[in-house]
Amino acid sequence: MVPSTARPAAGVVPLLLVLHWKHGAGSPLPITPVNATCAIRHPCHNNLMNQIRSQLAQLNGSANALFILYYTAQGEPFPNNLDKLCGPNVTDFPPFHANGTEKAKLVELYRIVVYLGTSLGNITRDQKILNPSALSLHSKLNATADILRGLLSNVLCRLCSKYHVGHVDVTYGPDTSGKDVFQKKKLGCQLLGKYKETIAVLAQAF
Amino acid sequence: MALFVVFQTTFFLTLLSLRTYQSEVLAERLPLTPVSLKVSTNSIHQSLHLQWTVHNLPYHQELKMVFQIQISRIETSNVVWVGNYSTPVKWNQVLHWSWESELPLECATHFVRIKSVIDDASFPEPNFWSNWSSWEEVSVQDSLGRGTLFVFPKDKLVEEGSNVTICYVSRNIQNNVSCYLEGKQIHGEQLDPHVTAFNLNSVPFIRNRGTNIYCEASQGNVSKGIEGIVLFVSKVLEEPKDFSCESQDFKTLHCTWDPGTDTALGWSKQPSQSYTLFESFSGEKKLCTHKNWCNWQITQDSQEMYNFTLIAENYLRKRSVNILFNLTHRVYLMNPFSVNFENVNATNAIMTWKVHSMRNNFTYLCQIELHGEGKMMQYDVSINVNGEYFLSELEPATEYMARVRCADASHFWKWTEWSGQNFTTLEAAPSEAPDVWRSVNSEPGNHTVTLFWKPLSKLHANGKILFYNVVVENLDKPSRSELRSIPAPANSTKLILDRCSYQICVTANNSVGASPASIIVISADPENKEVEEERIAGTEGGFSLSWKPQPGDVIGYVVDWCDHPQDVLQWKNVGPNTTSTVISTDAFRPGVRYDFRIYGLSTKRIACLLEKKTGYSQELAPSDNPHVLVDMLTSHSFTLSWKDYSTESQPGFIQGYHVYLKSKARQCHPRFQKAVLSDGSECCKYKIDNPEEKALIVDNLKPESFYEFFVTPFTSAGEGPNATFTKVTTPDEHSSMLIRILLPMVFCVLLIMIVCYLKSQWIKETCYPDIPDPYKSSILSLIKFKENPHLTIMNVSDCIPDAIEVVSKPEGTKIQLLGTRKSLTETELTKPNYLYLLPTEKNHSGPGPCICFENFTYNQAASDAGSCGHVPVPPKAPPSMLGLMTSPENVLKALEKNYMNSLGEVPAGETSLNYVSQLASPMSGDKDSLPTNPVEPPHCSEYKMQMAVPLRLALPPPTENSSLSSITLLDPGEHYR
Repeated sequence: MVPSTARPAAGVVPLLLVLHWKHGAGSPLPITPVNATCAIRHPCHNNLMNQIRSQLAQLNGSANALFILYYTAQGEPFPNNLDKLCGPNVTDFPPFHANGTEKAKLVELYRIVVYLGTSLGNITRDQKILNPSALSLHSKLNATADILRGLLSNVLCRLCSKYHVGHVDVTYGPDTSGKDVFQKKKLGCQLLGKYKETIAVLAQAF
Repeated sequence: MALFVVFQTTFFLTLLSLRTYQSEVLAERLPLTPVSLKVSTNSIHQSLHLQWTVHNLPYHQELKMVFQIQISRIETSNVVWVGNYSTPVKWNQVLHWSWESELPLECATHFVRIKSVIDDASFPEPNFWSNWSSWEEVSVQDSLGRGTLFVFPKDKLVEEGSNVTICYVSRNIQNNVSCYLEGKQIHGEQLDPHVTAFNLNSVPFIRNRGTNIYCEASQGNVSKGIEGIVLFVSKVLEEPKDFSCESQDFKTLHCTWDPGTDTALGWSKQPSQSYTLFESFSGEKKLCTHKNWCNWQITQDSQEMYNFTLIAENYLRKRSVNILFNLTHRVYLMNPFSVNFENVNATNAIMTWKVHSMRNNFTYLCQIELHGEGKMMQYDVSINVNGEYFLSELEPATEYMARVRCADASHFWKWTEWSGQNFTTLEAAPSEAPDVWRSVNSEPGNHTVTLFWKPLSKLHANGKILFYNVVVENLDKPSRSELRSIPAPANSTKLILDRCSYQICVTANNSVGASPASIIVISADPENKEVEEERIAGTEGGFSLSWKPQPGDVIGYVVDWCDHPQDVLQWKNVGPNTTSTVISTDAFRPGVRYDFRIYGLSTKRIACLLEKKTGYSQELAPSDNPHVLVDMLTSHSFTLSWKDYSTESQPGFIQGYHVYLKSKARQCHPRFQKAVLSDGSECCKYKIDNPEEKALIVDNLKPESFYEFFVTPFTSAGEGPNATFTKVTTPDEHSSMLIRILLPMVFCVLLIMIVCYLKSQWIKETCYPDIPDPYKSSILSLIKFKENPHLTIMNVSDCIPDAIEVVSKPEGTKIQLLGTRKSLTETELTKPNYLYLLPTEKNHSGPGPCICFENFTYNQAASDAGSCGHVPVPPKAPPSMLGLMTSPENVLKALEKNYMNSLGEVPAGETSLNYVSQLASPMSGDKDSLPTNPVEPPHCSEYKMQMAVPLRLALPPPTENSSLSSITLLDPGEHYR
């Protein structure tokens, strides 16, 4: 259901659709054409960058707790083999260059947030099925996904209003639907490990 | 013989050749070898799926055939399974068959071949197995994709207790792979260099989220990755229990069961087991939506018999239970309703209720339960539509709960739920007289009687007691009686009766009437019978009392006592033939003394005190120690006393006292025994067995020694509390003796002093009387009477002057002489200066040898006059008196001069005057300065009272007329020697 590889090819669906992904939604968003107009439904907030920084700080503050909750809920061998099972070796994770221009950083942030958003959606779906009683984990996953959606909206507004960026090529997190349960656990753990690591860099960069 | 052997061999060879030929001919004739064998895999179920066909069936008809299938693993020679599959086969039919592998298919290559035989009775030809088909190889390892380590099977669902085989495929044989189940390493069997299988026997259910099994590849200490699987172990599906169906209205059958364990697993690997209801007579089936009940609609009125099968099913197992029943035997009625009570009075009531109508002529069996006063009564009754039951023998003023349930009387299946209601019976008059007792205090002229009664039990009160009537009737004067009504809940009243016999009747009254009377008689005689008190021992169960029967007829005995600490009188009635009882109550407390009095009740209902007993339900150790006084402390003994200690108010009978004594001496005194205290220290102990002996003389002690003592009472439960020892030091032996001597001495001295003080006048007169004043002497009057001038006292002219010595102290006396203004400090006087008055004429023809000398410095008159300047010198005394000197003028001059100097310059007190008695011999002074002619002692001499006065006061002013009979003024510079 969700492709596991990046699809940088150009699409036709407006970029705003990205804002409406659902848990588990992994189908690639076609990339807007280069010459598409930058259209925003709502006016952007005056202090967008501060909001972005605040959201990144908020995510950074909760990332470790989310990671711990996750690997604890998976059972052995996850809590005692974090480096082997939950290492942040996610190969197709969008890159980020902290020394780039604000525009470049925002574009890269946008890609990362999209990637994380879809990945978190898959993880949340899997965990609700696998660990229906892990309510704390579910709550944390939902809260993180909510903040990511807000962050994505703000980044989009910033890109659109200041830099007139109408489209960004994005990649999505790996599709876990075809994987076995152990692989789902492992991929989720790796993704959250990567998320914890990346979000710290992002919070620092902005 | 040889010929026979050759013949036999030839025969067997011929037979064998014939058999071989026949087989070959038949096989060739019917080549039924399975062909087109295709094998596919199902990774989810770990199964091989085979399909094949059989060509050349001789007839276009269905034949029953048997196929033998061989499955090998890794290599063809390693056959792991052989089995037959029998099925009818049609011409050109494609046959299917599946085989589930224990070992995950990903871990090994499998080989399959098949052969067949016709097993059909209609086929006339002999049956022979066909040839094997060629081996068909199945391998899924090539489709594993990238990676070096794989673990199988993925997400396998198994039942608890089953055996599971897992395996891993390691593409790098240099990796060392270890596998773990829930953290514990498991060991397997290596199938080939890349594959190892693990047989897990009887896997346990751990959690419904599955069990993680993982393998870690490593080279040395370097991990090359972890891969794993989740094994979903399901609980074993249980057979439904207590499956039953019933109907309340002949329209719906309600079936229920106990589903047992829920076998649902996480990750949607297995939902909860499903339940299906199947009725075999109608052939209908219903999937139940609830896990423990299901409703079945009755559609055919004619169907009475039902055969239900309840099927429980999950992914792994199916279970079923079956019941067969007649619908009319499974009627579960609806609950009765409209439960009411009619005609309720004190002892009976009518209960009515209704039931839901089922069918015509339906008979109900109903059961009634009546709960009240802690009892339950049950009644059964058969009814048709409306129920009614007469409840009798009820207790008055009692709340009851009555309930009813019903069932089908024809075919009992199940009771309905209870339907009930409460009701209360009406009151009736109390049925029993109150239990009454009294205490009597006799006082001069009257009795104070306190009546006590116990509240009637609910059983006898028959309602709420409103008041008690007390009728006091004077037996000596029957016409007089008194009625008192005491409102409930009072349980006592006080009566003051005179010295007559009284009968007291007590009744309890409720709203309906009065109880029978309880009668007690107070005799006119005071209850002053002295009965000795006996000690008894109580137990945890109470006090066991026994007494001597009262002579004469008695109607019973009463034992009374007081509860503590409420101090409420309690009593117990005992029958006339009983002389012992056990008083047991929870109110008895350990350490409290209870006094029991046993009365006999005469036929006239007069109580007579028989015995007194006292005791403790449990004696305790004394709660406090006596306050001990130390008396009569001597150097060798002292007395301990604790007279104030009360033995009566203790939590046990005081049996005596222990006196502990500590001293430096190791040896205990006589009568004392060695004892070890709780702190381990040693001391001496003396035991007093008499509780009233509250003093002890501790003797044989050493003087000036330190002793410690401690007195504690003891009961049967032990000693009193530990307390500190009191210290005593015996005094010194001599000091006491000194005290014995000194005290009387001091007393005597004081006595003497007091006596002396009181008799001081007498002592003065006796020991040192006043010097008589000659002027005041009575002899003067006698002299005057004779008028003899010679006999007057102290006329200077009559006296022969004697030598006068005037001594002036030489120590630094400063006298400034008025005339010369010469300071005396300039002249050191190292020797006393004397002025002698010596007789100037040897032939003195004076009136007598008496020498009269009047010392003015000791003049009584001067002292009396204060600053008086005149000396009471007789006025007739001529100045010629000084003529006793060698020259009266010279002497006078000298005297005047010295006199003036003295008056003018000598301050009072600075010059002392030494008086030399006229009688004193000059020998007493300086011998060297003595005159050669000693003065003859006068025949008589007389003193006047001498009084030292300052010169300033004593001397008269220096007038020319001043006549000093004998004055010596001292001038240190001009004195005579």
